[in-house]
Amino acid sequence: MTTLLESLSNELATAVEVGGRAVVAIHARRRIPASGVHWRQGVIVATNHTINRDENITVTLPDGTTAPVTLAGRDPSTDLAVLRLAGQSLPTAQLRLDPPPSVGELVIALGRPGPKLTASWGVMSSVAGAWRTWRGGEIDSLLRLDVSIYDGFSGGPLIDAAGRVLGINSSGLARGAAVTIPVATVERTLGELLERGTIRRAYLGIGTQPVRVPQSLARRLELKNTVGLLIASVEPGGPADRDGVLLGDVLLALDGADVSDPTDVLAQLGGDRVGRPIAALVIRGGQVQTLQVTPGERPEPRAA
Amino acid sequence: MTAPVTSGLTQQLAATVDALRRVTVRVQASGAAASGAGVLWDPGAGGGDDSRGLVITNAHVATRAQATIQFSDGAVAQARVVARDRRRDLAALELEPRTAAAVAQVRGAPPLRVGELVIAIGHPGELTGAATLGIVHMASGDRAGRTPPWIRADLRLAPGFSGGPLADARGRLIGINTLMHGGMALAVPAALVQSWLRRARAPA
Repeated sequence: MTTLLESLSNELATAVEVGGRAVVAIHARRRIPASGVHWRQGVIVATNHTINRDENITVTLPDGTTAPVTLAGRDPSTDLAVLRLAGQSLPTAQLRLDPPPSVGELVIALGRPGPKLTASWGVMSSVAGAWRTWRGGEIDSLLRLDVSIYDGFSGGPLIDAAGRVLGINSSGLARGAAVTIPVATVERTLGELLERGTIRRAYLGIGTQPVRVPQSLARRLELKNTVGLLIASVEPGGPADRDGVLLGDVLLALDGADVSDPTDVLAQLGGDRVGRPIAALVIRGGQVQTLQVTPGERPEPRAA
Repeated sequence: MTAPVTSGLTQQLAATVDALRRVTVRVQASGAAASGAGVLWDPGAGGGDDSRGLVITNAHVATRAQATIQFSDGAVAQARVVARDRRRDLAALELEPRTAAAVAQVRGAPPLRVGELVIAIGHPGELTGAATLGIVHMASGDRAGRTPPWIRADLRLAPGFSGGPLADARGRLIGINTLMHGGMALAVPAALVQSWLRRARAPA
């Protein structure tokens, strides 16, 4: 007789087996390889921080063979990278976009830090709303795990009990703690990376810090929001500099949205903002003014 | 709310753990401060003298020629080390004649699958017969293939689990818990214990 306990054990092993068919090892750094997921036919998704070179990248497929891949694009802000794999017939991952994982749901992290598939298990410990990484990338949902993430697991999938992919695990976004980049974020980023190789982001060339506007001034100017952003640096020749933003201005709103934290500025600077003027509400010389600023495209950090 | 699956699982897990605890002993090497765990093994395995009980543990637990064995019911017996292999970290101890003791059932087949549930029993700290639950992390082998094969489990082992059983969802023995490495538990596969035992007990 098969007990429930055995059935659970068998189902977990089957989920690992099914999910593992699309998990590859990625050789793009010294030390141990990292993992990647065969996301669409000929397209492998991995983590950016585990890819330390742009060329001579190979993958180990589930059958143990090694194949060359080319780097199609990478996005440090979401820690995603996309590789192209040609001429291999390999199952693609089954994606679960809906429903989103729930807190307490049994999940499995898969990795292939070598020829053999490895797994760890646990539960979703937190599912929260959209967040921004320390490099400004927008992640659709904050997925935190109560799962051990071993060396080489970055780039591997988090799967559910049916072997469907819930996202890509990364230890490069939250000071080494494991977070999962949801399927929705991967899908959104993938297209642009395949097309352009990078993710376009708008930028203004300002450094800011939150300041409280003195109450008397706030009252006189009839401000609803008493915290603004002091312009603490302006990049010479940058978009804000060209459009007349001055050191010492206090930024109150961008395109009608209040800003009281530097991440509020980043939130207004998606790739579609490049080259389109937006209204910036600032306090200058005790008066409220509206400036038109036109974000430029964020320059890529120069390759080492 | 009723939870028939979860309550069924809980009962079966408890029953499996209970059966495993009966084949798990505490091994206290004579004169040593720390103790570890051990597994009651079929004494007839490898053509041994089946009138005496047999305990398998780690070599780093059975550090002396003699050891005191405490059974799950609290009974105590003396045992002597009849084979020890530091490289595999295995030791076999023979007990004074004892009748009707349960022995571990070794899983021969099928091969382990990554993701399978595993249960470890040990005696961490002040506890006796503590259980932990995890899954198989990697089935066997090492990347280089040079070191002896291990079962790697996504499982937390504390000191005191050494030498005790790692079992599958049916309570069948699959390995001897030996150490933690890189955050995962390493166990000597039961099949390797059996072949070692055959060689160690073969007449010279």
